[in-house]
This record gives sequence, structure tokens and C-alpha cells, in this order.
Amino acid sequence: MDLAPTISTQALTRRFGDLVAVDGIDLNVAPGQFFGFLGPNGAGKSTTIKMLTGLLAPSSGRIKILGLDLNTDPVDVKRQIGVVPEGMALFGRLTGAEFLSFAGRMYGLDRLTAAKRAAELLEFMQLADQPKKLVTDYSHGMQKKLALAAAVIHGPKVLFLDEPFEGVDAIAAGTLKSMLQGMIARGATIFLTSHVLEIVERLCSHVAIIHQGRLVAQGSLEELRMGVEAQTSGAREGTATAGEKLTLEQLFLRIVGGTGHAEQELSWLG
Amino acid sequence: MIRPEVSSQLIAIAELRWRMFLNGLRSKRGKMELASRILVTLAFSLGGLLAFTLATGFAWYFVSQNKAEYLAILLWAVFLFWQLFPVMATAFTNNPDSAELLRFPITYGSYFLIRLAYGFFDPASALGTVGLSGILLGITLARPLLFPYTLLVLFTFALLNLVLMQTIFAWLERWLAQRRTREIISVLFILTMFSFQLIGPLMGRLGRKPHPELNQAFEMGARVQAFFPPGLAGSAIAQFSHARFLPGLASLAFLGALTLAIGILLHLRLRAQFRGENLNEAAARPASVQTQGLRVGWNLPGFSQPVAAVFEKEMRYLARSGPMLLTLIMPILMLLIFRLGPMNSLRHSSAFSRSFSRTPDMAFPGVAAYAILVLTNLLFNSFGGDGGGIQFFYASPINFRQIVLAKNLTHASILAVNTALAWIAVSYLYGRPHLAVSVATIAGLLFAAPLNFAAGNLLSIYAPKKRDFSTFGRQNASQTTVLASFGLQIVTVGLGVAIFMLARLYQNPWLATPLFLMLAAVTIPIYFMVLRHIDGIAIERRETLVAELCRA
Repeated sequence: MDLAPTISTQALTRRFGDLVAVDGIDLNVAPGQFFGFLGPNGAGKSTTIKMLTGLLAPSSGRIKILGLDLNTDPVDVKRQIGVVPEGMALFGRLTGAEFLSFAGRMYGLDRLTAAKRAAELLEFMQLADQPKKLVTDYSHGMQKKLALAAAVIHGPKVLFLDEPFEGVDAIAAGTLKSMLQGMIARGATIFLTSHVLEIVERLCSHVAIIHQGRLVAQGSLEELRMGVEAQTSGAREGTATAGEKLTLEQLFLRIVGGTGHAEQELSWLG
Repeated sequence: MIRPEVSSQLIAIAELRWRMFLNGLRSKRGKMELASRILVTLAFSLGGLLAFTLATGFAWYFVSQNKAEYLAILLWAVFLFWQLFPVMATAFTNNPDSAELLRFPITYGSYFLIRLAYGFFDPASALGTVGLSGILLGITLARPLLFPYTLLVLFTFALLNLVLMQTIFAWLERWLAQRRTREIISVLFILTMFSFQLIGPLMGRLGRKPHPELNQAFEMGARVQAFFPPGLAGSAIAQFSHARFLPGLASLAFLGALTLAIGILLHLRLRAQFRGENLNEAAARPASVQTQGLRVGWNLPGFSQPVAAVFEKEMRYLARSGPMLLTLIMPILMLLIFRLGPMNSLRHSSAFSRSFSRTPDMAFPGVAAYAILVLTNLLFNSFGGDGGGIQFFYASPINFRQIVLAKNLTHASILAVNTALAWIAVSYLYGRPHLAVSVATIAGLLFAAPLNFAAGNLLSIYAPKKRDFSTFGRQNASQTTVLASFGLQIVTVGLGVAIFMLARLYQNPWLATPLFLMLAAVTIPIYFMVLRHIDGIAIERRETLVAELCRA
């Protein structure tokens, strides 16, 4: 069955003055995929996710989400997606319940539904025990959970997450993962960026790697492995032994070539 | 492991501050900052020269006239300036250095010294030292033999001031580290400033007839002040100048003991900081388990869910911001000040009676104009308090004009409540304003408010500035906004005054209303025109807004 992609970009480019942060990338994310978007620091991950969610205008190129052009139908697109951007987009001087209720109504839910879902989400995220606490007083991990709750309160078809596991403890990360996997099981598409490659490997079915603004790899983990193994001849440090699968970290390092500095020796280090 | 040298650490910190200063000059803002610092330094230098001259002259006079007890007055002036000026100038900004320094392997002794050194280079310390030098010179000129002893007393007094200033800062830093205490202190601060406004009028009232109880209070105050640092330092010098050496030395010893005691308080605070105390708000409160029933959001008849949601969010933000609420009720407080103060005095004078026979007819339009003026605090930077939440607005599936409309509804509600309260307050304090003036004032608001709202909406998007609703300070608006606001207020207030003057000229108070309504017929369409275009402007400016408001 040939399914139209949920997220697709054509020659998506973003320049900041002379710097080309994202350089003509063509992304394709199929419905129901748990898609990991990887890259070293400054590669263009956050810039891309901001453009995909309407937080940043592309310099050129096209973005289609659920078949709709983000440039011409921004409101229709936003109605169907959920976003946890880099800064989490929270309103610090509301309580968790007030913020979620507010978020629900902004996505078109009626007051009662928004309040009910807010209460359920707070319970699920284990944030319900301090109802009078303002968001600004939440810990970083609590804020991450709240931001995710706000992003899903309207039941989006596509979820964009920028570093959702950054600064989150193992218990909170477990809660987030189970929620995301539940959404995938119900047919949603998730697009996430993360530096924690083990999590991406465990959660994502497909990945893309961006390096210096260009898309250098895209596909399922198996496709990436086959591609790298086909290109590689001879053993290098970090290569899996015969019969073992390459880990995502090994694939990533091969593709972006990040092992050079590690080989240098700092003799004065204890 | 290499053991870091204390001296090299101190040099590194000095270099760090110098580099930060130089790097700050790279931006245009940094250069403007430097220019303003040069101007401020010049002003301080002139102030220091004046303080030195006055201190020298008065000290010489008191000692040569055998009235050395009066030196306490000079020492009180130095003391109050040294302690209050830094608090007024920077109490509501956090000092980032201390927490950052603690990452490095510095000893507690070095940390204590660095904190004292910061205090020594404070302008208040510099000016305080200049003042004390003037006192030393004046006393030495009058009685050269007193020089060594006076030097010792004034050095101890200076040390006390330095340690006390740092102690106050260290404790303020501790209180300001938490949002709730920061808000309480901010409200106390503005109330203190407000109470200063009342001193003049109250003193004026008290001054009209003799108050023997006030004289008694002053006498008691004079006795009590002798136990405070300036009184002790003054007494130590005065006793010595009258050849009463033992009481003089006792005062000096007491001053020294007080310095030591304050130093211990500073030590306790800095020691806690050095050990890495956690002032995190979340950690400070016990995690008591509470439950809450379902809370349904507000309904705003006639408006969509998103507009009602943003309206509710804005109201909740305001209700939780003590400083902002206090700012918004300032018009009513100002009515009280004027009732107690100059307006009241003027009302009793014959010239005023002839020119302005009905004070309420001036007070109500005046306070309504002032209500708009204080509202510009919110209006001209209406996304400033949203911080990172601006990304939520951009990511949500609604047009930006709905968000702006909801914010304007909040502003209009505040203005309406403020105007109604102002009318009640004016009626109670001055008498009921003439009906024609009341109606004209409301018509005037119909003209001024849409114009301010339109300008505010544009400025909020074109010149945003992140702000913290829990604090006061220099964070509230960009320079562009300040200038534009100033220009707009001149135009609106100028037109308002001209129309009221015209009505007075024609001796027809009802003339003002149609004139204001004619102006409103121009400004209301301007408001809706801006609102219609706000989506495009907001999209065009989204990067600036997000970058400015999401800044850490």
C-alpha cells in the first residue's frame, strides 16, 4: 500500500545571514512512524523542527504535514499537530491544571472536555499532587512532562518533540516513553530529536541524520545499517565484531565522522 | 593535584570582570551603557566633591565650636546613604557572581574576601569613604591632635558600613532567590516608596499646630540613636574631644563589637552559600499531597474558546503579580496623595479657588488619563510576561488577532474597573464630578484607549522585551517603546487638555463630549485596522518575538 507521507519537505532551506543552518533537505515521514531526527550539536535539528511546526519561516522550500501545505494552511496543520519545542512553551504563572485547560481550549476543546483531559493528564504524568504549584516552580523534569501533556491534550495526529528526554529522570522518562508508545500504537506519527541515541534506537522505527545542515542519511535502522556496511570496508574503531549488528551510536559516528577527536590523547589527564 | 593559589584566583576574577566589561562594549547597547556610565561617574564625582566639601566644613565647624556631639548628624547621613543607596539601586537584580564562583576550588576565606571586595568597589562605598575623609579632614583642621584617634574611629565605622552593606545584600540575595519572597519584598518596596510620598503632606498637616508629643519623640530618638553605629562613632569622637577618654574608648569598643557581630551574620550567610545551599522554590516547600476537583475554565459570552482562555490566563497572571497589581491601582493611590497634599493645600488658596472652582472636575479626567498611562506598562509590552509561552501561541491553531483581542479585552476591563473606582474615589475624596465632565471623560477614554491599544499591539510585536511580572526594575520596556509611549501620551493628553480648555472657554462643559466622540470615530477604526493586519505582522516578526521572549 502506498501511503502519502505524514511529513514531507522539499528543498527545505533556512539561512541566518551567511550561515546556511538547513540546506535543502527532503524529509519523508510515513504515517505511524516513530521518527528520530539526529545530528551533532549545531547541525540544524532544532531549526528544522521549528520550521516544521511553524515557529520559524523557511528561507525556501516546501513543508507538507498531513497533505496540507504549512505555508498556505497553517491553522489547519496546527490543529492536527502537537509540539514540545526547545523552550517548552510554558506559561510559568499558571498552575499545571490551569495551563493544560488553557492549552486544550486553545486547540478548540470545550471547557469541560479541556478540564477533564487536563485532570487525566496530570494524573497520568504524576503531577496531580500539588495542584496549587505554579509551573514556574516545577522542576525541569516536571516541566517536560507538563509540556508533553499540553502537546497531546487535543489528541494530535502528529507530535513534534525537541529533546523530550533532556534533563528528565529515569522514572519520568519511563512515563513519557510509555505514553509515546501508546500513541504510536493508536496510529499517531511522532517526530523527535534527541541526543540520547539509546532511547532513539529503542523507540524509533526510522531515523534521519542531519549534519552541517544537510540530510546525510534517512530510512529505517536496518536500511541505515545496510547502507553503512556496504560503504565500509576494513575494520575501524567502533565497528561491531562479525555477526553483531551495528548500534545506532556506531552508525551515527560512522555517518557524521565523529571519532577523530576521541583518538587524540590528552596526556596530562589523570 | 595542583593547589590553586588564592592570589591567582583573585587576579583571574578581576580579569574575568574586565573581559566581561570589554565584551559588553561590542554591542551598540554596551556602548550606550558605557556612555551612560561615564555620565553617571561624572555625576557621582561631582556629588562626591560636594559631599567632601560639606563634610569637611561641617565637621570643622562642629569641632571648632566645641559641639562635637553634632558629628553624629554627618555620620548618620553617611550611614544612611551607604546602606540605602545600593539597596535602592540594585536590590531587585540578582548578583550572578557568587553562585558562579562557587564552582571553582576557592577557599571560604577567598570567597569572603571577594564578597567584601565587591562591596568596596560599590559607588556607595566610594562616596561614603569620600564623605568620611571629609569629616576626618574637617576634624583634623579644627583639632590636629585628634587625627590618629579619629582615623581609627572612622576606619572602624567604614568597616562596619562595608560589612553591613554586604550583609544586607547577602540576605536580600537569599530572600530574592525565591519567587514568593521576591514578590513580597517588591510589594513592600513599592509601599515604602509610596509611604515616602505621604511624608510631605503629613508633615505639612502636623506643622500647622504645635505637637508636644513630636518633640518628646525627637528627644527619645536622639537618645536611642546613640546606640546605633553613627551615634556610637560620633560619641567616640565627641567624648575624646572633650577629654573624656574612657567613655570615648568604650563607644569605640562597642562600635568594634557591633562590626564583629554583623561580620558574624555575614559569615553565617556566606558560609551557607559556600556550602551550596539550595534555594530552589520546589525544594523549599514540603511536597504535601493534595487533591483538587475538576476546575472548568472561564466562559466569556460572545467570544470564542481561545479568546476566553487567553482572557482567563491574562487575568490569572495579573492576580498573581503583586507588583503589577499595585502599579495598576496607583491612580487611586495618587488620588489619596493629592487629597492629603498639594491639591488640598491649593484648594484652600484663593488663586486656586478662582481658577479651578471644582477640584473633582479636574481630578476625574486627570486620574482617568493616569489610569491609561499606568496601563501602558502592560499594554505596550503585552507579550513580555509570556516568556517562552509565546511559542505556544505560535504553535496553536488560532489566528494571532484572537490572542491580541483577548489581551486587549483584559486591558479594557482593567481600564473600566480603574475608571469606575476612580470616579467613586473622586466622589468620596473631592465631591462628585459634574455629569458633563464624567461623560466627557468616558468619551475621552473611547478616543484615547483604542489609539493606545493599537499602538500597544504594534509595539508589543515590534519591540518586545521579556519581563518578570514578579519584580520591578529596568526590565519592563525597550527604549523604542518608551519613546513611542512618551510621544503618544503627549498627543493624547495634549488633545484631551485642549478639548477641556475649549469647553471651559465656551463655558459649556457638554461641548467636550462630541469632540471626543469625533476623535473616537477616527481612533476606533484605526484600532480595528491594526487588529486586521496583526496576523501578518506577527508572522513576519515571529523570529524576533520568539528569540527575545525565550531568552534565558
